[in-house]
Amino acid sequence: MAARIITNSGLHRKLHEFSSGLAKLPSGNGIIRTAATALPMSDFEIQHKQPLVKKTKPIPVALYGGRHAVTMLPGGGIGPELMVYVKEIFKYAGAPVDFEVVEIDPKSDESNDLEYAITSIKRNGVAIKGNIETKSESTGVQSRNVAIRNELDLFVNVLHCHSYPGVPARQKGIDIIIIRQNTEGEYAMLEHESVEGVVESMKIVTKSNSERVARFAFEYAKRNNRKKVTTIHKANIMKLSDGLFLETSQKVAKDYPEIEHNDMIIDNCCMQLVSRPHQFDVMIMTNLYGTIVSNVVCGLVGGAGLLSGKNYGDHYAIFEPGTRNTGTAIAGKNIANPIAMISASIDMLDHLGHKQHSQVISDAVRKVICEDKLHTPDLGGSASSTEIVQRIIDYILQTDTRAW
Amino acid sequence: MSLIRINPLRILNQVPTAIFTRNIHVTPAAATLTPRQENRVRCTLIPGDGVGPELVYAVQEVFKAAAVPVDFESFFFSEVNPTLSAPIDQVANSISKNKVCLKGILATPDYSRTGELQTLNMKLRNELDLYANVVHVKSLPGVRSRHTGVDCIVIREQTEGEYSALEHESVKGVVECLKIVTATKSERIAKFAFDYATKNKRKKVTAVHKANIMKLGDGLFLKCCEQTSKLYPKIEFEKLIVDNCTMQMVSRPQQFDVMVTPNLYGNIIDNLGAGLVGGAGVVAGASYSADCVVFEPGARHTFAEGVGKNIANPTAMILCAANLLNHVNLGSYGEMIKNAVSKVLHDGKVRTKDIGGQSNTQEFTYAIIYNLKPVST
Amino acid sequence: MAVRIIRQFATTKQNARHYSSQIRKCTIIPGDGIGPEISTAVQKIFAVAKVPIEWESVDVTPVRGPDGKFGIPQEAIDSVNRNKIGLKGPLMTPVGKGHRSLNLALRKEFSLYANVRPCRSLEGYKTLYDNVDVVTIRENTEGEYSGIEHEIVDGVVQSIKLITEDASRRVAEFAFKYTKENKRRKLTAVHKANIMRMSDGLFLRCCRDTAEKFPDVKFEEKYLDTVCLNMVQDPSQYDVLVMPNLYGDILSDMCAGLVGGLGLTPSGNIGINGALFESVHGTAPDIAGKDLANPTALLLSAVMMLKYMGLNEQADRIQLACFNTIKEAKYLTGDLGGKSKCSEFTNEICNKL
Repeated sequence: MAARIITNSGLHRKLHEFSSGLAKLPSGNGIIRTAATALPMSDFEIQHKQPLVKKTKPIPVALYGGRHAVTMLPGGGIGPELMVYVKEIFKYAGAPVDFEVVEIDPKSDESNDLEYAITSIKRNGVAIKGNIETKSESTGVQSRNVAIRNELDLFVNVLHCHSYPGVPARQKGIDIIIIRQNTEGEYAMLEHESVEGVVESMKIVTKSNSERVARFAFEYAKRNNRKKVTTIHKANIMKLSDGLFLETSQKVAKDYPEIEHNDMIIDNCCMQLVSRPHQFDVMIMTNLYGTIVSNVVCGLVGGAGLLSGKNYGDHYAIFEPGTRNTGTAIAGKNIANPIAMISASIDMLDHLGHKQHSQVISDAVRKVICEDKLHTPDLGGSASSTEIVQRIIDYILQTDTRAW
Repeated sequence: MSLIRINPLRILNQVPTAIFTRNIHVTPAAATLTPRQENRVRCTLIPGDGVGPELVYAVQEVFKAAAVPVDFESFFFSEVNPTLSAPIDQVANSISKNKVCLKGILATPDYSRTGELQTLNMKLRNELDLYANVVHVKSLPGVRSRHTGVDCIVIREQTEGEYSALEHESVKGVVECLKIVTATKSERIAKFAFDYATKNKRKKVTAVHKANIMKLGDGLFLKCCEQTSKLYPKIEFEKLIVDNCTMQMVSRPQQFDVMVTPNLYGNIIDNLGAGLVGGAGVVAGASYSADCVVFEPGARHTFAEGVGKNIANPTAMILCAANLLNHVNLGSYGEMIKNAVSKVLHDGKVRTKDIGGQSNTQEFTYAIIYNLKPVST
Repeated sequence: MAVRIIRQFATTKQNARHYSSQIRKCTIIPGDGIGPEISTAVQKIFAVAKVPIEWESVDVTPVRGPDGKFGIPQEAIDSVNRNKIGLKGPLMTPVGKGHRSLNLALRKEFSLYANVRPCRSLEGYKTLYDNVDVVTIRENTEGEYSGIEHEIVDGVVQSIKLITEDASRRVAEFAFKYTKENKRRKLTAVHKANIMRMSDGLFLRCCRDTAEKFPDVKFEEKYLDTVCLNMVQDPSQYDVLVMPNLYGDILSDMCAGLVGGLGLTPSGNIGINGALFESVHGTAPDIAGKDLANPTALLLSAVMMLKYMGLNEQADRIQLACFNTIKEAKYLTGDLGGKSKCSEFTNEICNKL
């Protein structure tokens, strides 16, 4: 089966299936589709009917009178309470952003809510989101988070991992940018049971998407004065798929002679991360490795509650807490760490160009965490979520800035 | 110290309760409000012609009484008095720097000495790309009018269409006036309307057109609205021909929610709507560009015959100012002023002549000031 | 070509008005939907009132012309040209390309340059406005409805609004004459010359020039938006309004809205080669053939026609009978809140005559 995917057109066909499954979203049999059901398509058809880069007509930006409209998907677990904090902080910082809150019912098998959320992001271009639960057990229901990323073609996820002085952690002074392919790889969600007791799961790597990620990473490194890009892979085993990914990034690296490029195998990378994390600067990797690496690094700098992730596509951007978990267990107890969501909102303000407001909020956050050392229990502190938010607001109010 | 602690109820209210009923655990500490360090907002002010300066004075009085942290940057800007008028660049710069502006109405003479076809209003709009004009036509309490319960929002494209100022006399006695409709601007205004409806929890958007006659021009506008509507499955979309629309407006205005119109039709419907709820003196409006907002009365009449008589109704201007405060994150002041206005109108003891009262502008303004009560946050 | 020759011939020869005693021929176009029923009603009332008119009923179902396009049959055109006067029920414009709007075609064919719509509050039918008595006169051949549109580049459409001195003067003169002949208080020119300085400026200039010829008619100028604003606040401050095409279209419908809708407002089109009176409401296919339609609009249009022909005595009688029937509110059709059938309403008017 795997061998069949090697040829280029076969690859396209896979991809076609993959995206046509998406078009239906969690409507039922999207996952169980196999090569046998695929209709043969000419290369021309593939190119025009299923372009790799989804062609979207640009929608006018939702910026009116200096105020941005942004979709807010609170998600499940601690998501809603964190969103309340973000709104409060925005109000006091005078951030010119209006939220369009879209709720997604986690229990329903219907995709109406999800489709609406996606449409809403398409309209506004930018979203801030918590983790959305997919409670349905049916195999036909896709993870909503994945569905959103795939549908909006958010091909890259950026996680800026940096240590906060004042937060107890094993490693100090870490500053790593993890750039992760976000839409394909192991998360292609093409699984089937070929024979009773044998399940195949497909991992898809395409040249164009690999190139987009690599290009994005190098551009990002260049813009942010980073020195080195490391490609993380497992090309020694998965010679074709990870091989393609590695090869592409090496090719792109040639266009950026001023940035150093090396590569590392994922297992070695994890070991290096826990022993000598400072050697890393910008890292690029495929989807699954991204999950692993980002969680490792988050653990190094002090847990899941601090970092924020950014998802970018050609047209849209979604900001969310860095490690994607709902935290259902601590929901409603006023102990969730609000910093991750707040930094996501800071990233969002930066992205929208409201640098002044993002600066004010991030200064306040830094003061609370690093100087006051006010921490929630997950960082070994005893402060409640609201105490932290209140302190941040107090700092914001002390700053001299215009009211909006 | 603890602003967030005293707001538990409000925070709860902000979150839709469907999913999120358990919430932050809060000790109901009776904390005092931290006196907020005020950061003052700068705002461009164009008093305009006619009674504009009197209305602006009323606004300033109210602002002073409410201690609103807004500083005005005032410009004399007028087309009928070109020698004294500030240059347009200066005004436009100020607005794009401050991002907000409060503006009276500029009188537009029928002819221009320089033979220019664009009016000063149009120039300012084009300079700042103030493409969307929003007029909220709403029946006010205590304002006597034939229709009650009107609450619709007219959104008008105001940078192209009939107001292109492209006119020429091709042959003697034959004048051609070009109406320009572009897909880009039509999409932009359609999206604006739908986003506005979404933000303000409105249910329906009506596109007003005359595509049965102007099949290409208005047809394009309509097509763009239709396409945009597909992105908003939760908002109903309907189309209405402009003449039918005016007829419906005067007979059953309650059926309308948000209306999106090209330039000229918008002008007509704005004024029609203003007439339905009590006249030009009570309807507030605003013009949006991507970056700035100019708040101005919704029906553009200078009321030149009322100049200096202390009889103009400042309601529209004061509501504009309150909307401005809401826009710049000074919502508590905005609400305070709005509440005072509706209280005064509702009580009905102090009313200006245009809405059937005997009071003058000054008395009305003082009545509003007297009724300013801090909104409990 | 032939048409043009006939028309010229007709114009020169039959220009003089007929005397009221003569039996005269009138073209009637019953129209679609409820058209035939209400036309029959009008014909019946006219017969009872002994109006000296002989009807010539024509069908305007489009036929394919020599150029391949669908258009009005030649007989219909000839009939109106011959009689110089016509009464028309509602017409349906088929959706789809290749069909010219029949209304537009008739308008072009007979050079109907002015559209007159008197809107008057009817006693007995309560609306929010009870003091409306406004006549809108609309230029009908040019302006925004010139039909000249093109897409310059993809996504940019340009429509041309055409204002000519001839047409503006023509309609202005008609408006002044109408105001004077009907002994109305004043004439208001509605314009937007502060924005469209040249085109609406030209229209306004023509009105001003004409005003000098009619010193006894009170004349004023108002901006379109001001008129809209004031009209819905206090319609009694306006009397006769004259304006370019689009504004007229919008304002006339708005005024109709003030008095209760298009089912009650008559309309007349005055042209160089004759005049066409019509009801401007829709064809109402849902109630067609059920004897439920309200013939008032067409009847009042017919009354306008009689006045235009100089048959004032009959016109007044029919109008009075009609108004009284509505005022008594015994036999009202469904749209006015009654339960009667079209025929009952018609019979009541006939009884009153």
